[in-house]
Amino acid sequence: MEEKIITKEDLLKLCDDIIAKGHTLLAPGIAEYVPVTNASQIQLDSSALPTKASYKSYVFPKAEPILYYKRSKNDVQLIDADVDGKKIIVLGAKPCDTNSINIMRHLFNWDYEDKFFDLRQKHFIIIGLMCNSFDDYCFCTSVGSSPVSEEGSDLFLIPLDEETFALRIVTEKGDEFIQQYSGFLKEGDETRSFAVIEKVKHPEKAFDSKQVHEWLGNNFESPKWDGIGNVCLSCAQCAFVCPVCHCFDIVDEDYSYSEGRRMKNWDGCQFGHFTLHASGHNPRDIQSKRYRQRVNHKFRYYVDKFGQILCTGCGRCSRGCPVSIDIKEIVANCKD
Amino acid sequence: MNNIYMPHLAEIREIIDESPDTRTFRLKFKDADTANSFEFKAGQFAEYSAFGDGESTFCIASSPTHKEFIECSFKVYGKVTQSLQRLNVGDTIGIRGPYGNWFPLDELKGKNLLFIAGGIGMAPVRCVIENVLDWREEYKDVTIIYGARSVSDLIYKQEIGEWKIRPDVTTVVTVDPGGATPSWDGEVGFVPAILEKTAPASENTAVILCGPPVMIKFTMPVLTKLGFRDEDVYTTLENRMKCGLGKCGRCNIGNVYVCKDGPVFTYAQIKKLPQEF
Repeated sequence: MEEKIITKEDLLKLCDDIIAKGHTLLAPGIAEYVPVTNASQIQLDSSALPTKASYKSYVFPKAEPILYYKRSKNDVQLIDADVDGKKIIVLGAKPCDTNSINIMRHLFNWDYEDKFFDLRQKHFIIIGLMCNSFDDYCFCTSVGSSPVSEEGSDLFLIPLDEETFALRIVTEKGDEFIQQYSGFLKEGDETRSFAVIEKVKHPEKAFDSKQVHEWLGNNFESPKWDGIGNVCLSCAQCAFVCPVCHCFDIVDEDYSYSEGRRMKNWDGCQFGHFTLHASGHNPRDIQSKRYRQRVNHKFRYYVDKFGQILCTGCGRCSRGCPVSIDIKEIVANCKD
Repeated sequence: MNNIYMPHLAEIREIIDESPDTRTFRLKFKDADTANSFEFKAGQFAEYSAFGDGESTFCIASSPTHKEFIECSFKVYGKVTQSLQRLNVGDTIGIRGPYGNWFPLDELKGKNLLFIAGGIGMAPVRCVIENVLDWREEYKDVTIIYGARSVSDLIYKQEIGEWKIRPDVTTVVTVDPGGATPSWDGEVGFVPAILEKTAPASENTAVILCGPPVMIKFTMPVLTKLGFRDEDVYTTLENRMKCGLGKCGRCNIGNVYVCKDGPVFTYAQIKKLPQEF
């Protein structure tokens, strides 16, 4: 790991250059990560809470065409959908967001590679920013991350004072990217950044993910699921704000009598129709079964399949839940 | 990079109305290279497109030994199957696949085979039967027990006729009580009862069992009583799927993905799964 120092002023100049080059620069806005058109809009606030939505939709869009079709008398013509492989730089990504693409990559590139996800993720540069605050919903430390985790970041910023950041070069991709801006960089001093990191307060660990994994394996039929099922509205906002939820639907959309497109749209396991068979049979017919699926998928099935918890501990699902279901509490309660 | 969601195009060469609500398409890939290179094994499934209405998941109902065409059979139930039903000979559909695992026909060589099917569950079984009959000398006794609600609900009547006249196959066809017509010459009774009556030997026998969950539920105790072991009973699970590729997230039963780890499972494997299917 190499460490440099960059002033806020130079960092903003760097941002202006990224924008001038025509790349997309994403930074946390009020509700979500937004494309920045002028570097002066950027707030690099390490004490901000996670935005309501992550930048997931830039790598896995809410709705995207996967092919186009044209019907004529008997025939059909298919046209492949292109992927916009534009470079996307995320500046100031929270440590609870930076690893999201790595986590989802297991799924999208598992056996069959999803080109839509794959081509987009290749063009991401993630500049993480140390996090210096948490609220009651944060639980990154319970899922193996932390407010100072560099995992998933290509470059990582640590605020040294009001005007200066330490910039850690985490990956080769990050190194290659920052080389072109070497004029902005000064030699770093690790003792300064370590001193900052040491003072960062971490949210208390709410559960032990290994114990949760084991409990879930033995308690598929636990009455605890019934209690949650009675509260949850099955609105699936939790899936939509989650940085790593990736379930989708495939539907056709005609836009004229003869032409249309096939779409891949976000879907959510909390919807009743998600697993509904055409016959009317539904394997997850009641909400308790659907919530059980959600928790098991995140903390057991994904771990078994890919060795990775399907959760970053950002707490967005709980912050946004209309009936105040706190996943941290539910998972912490996954014990005898 | 390949688009894994891109189907192959196929022309409907023939339509067979199997029953009032079940239809078979005989399909030929439009692209000659695809037609030559498309290979699958008995039990695998595909995603079939009715462009404008979407995709639906069915098994490939023809045998992999028949290279000149592939067939699918579907019951008209939802939006996509209704849309497929409106298509005519000469029209184009999409096919993505083959996906999933298959019946281990190579491993079962030298064994007796007992096929038990109910209703539309005959579609995946028919694929295996036709495959086995093309490799007939590789297997010992072949017994087929097939049941449907009524005479008109029996599918593959043509094939059943052919199996019945073969001396090297025992074919028993039954309809549920109340489903017989005056001219019906087969059995009357539910599949489990007819299985018990037929009482095939369990020694060195593998069972291929597909049908509605209620049929499987009552057939399994009879098989156990006849001496069959759970690991010798093969069946398929059919959960709702969209991608067929292990990504869209809806077909899992616990950490088993039906689209990738299935659709073929032994009853011993199914008993270990969480009861969520």
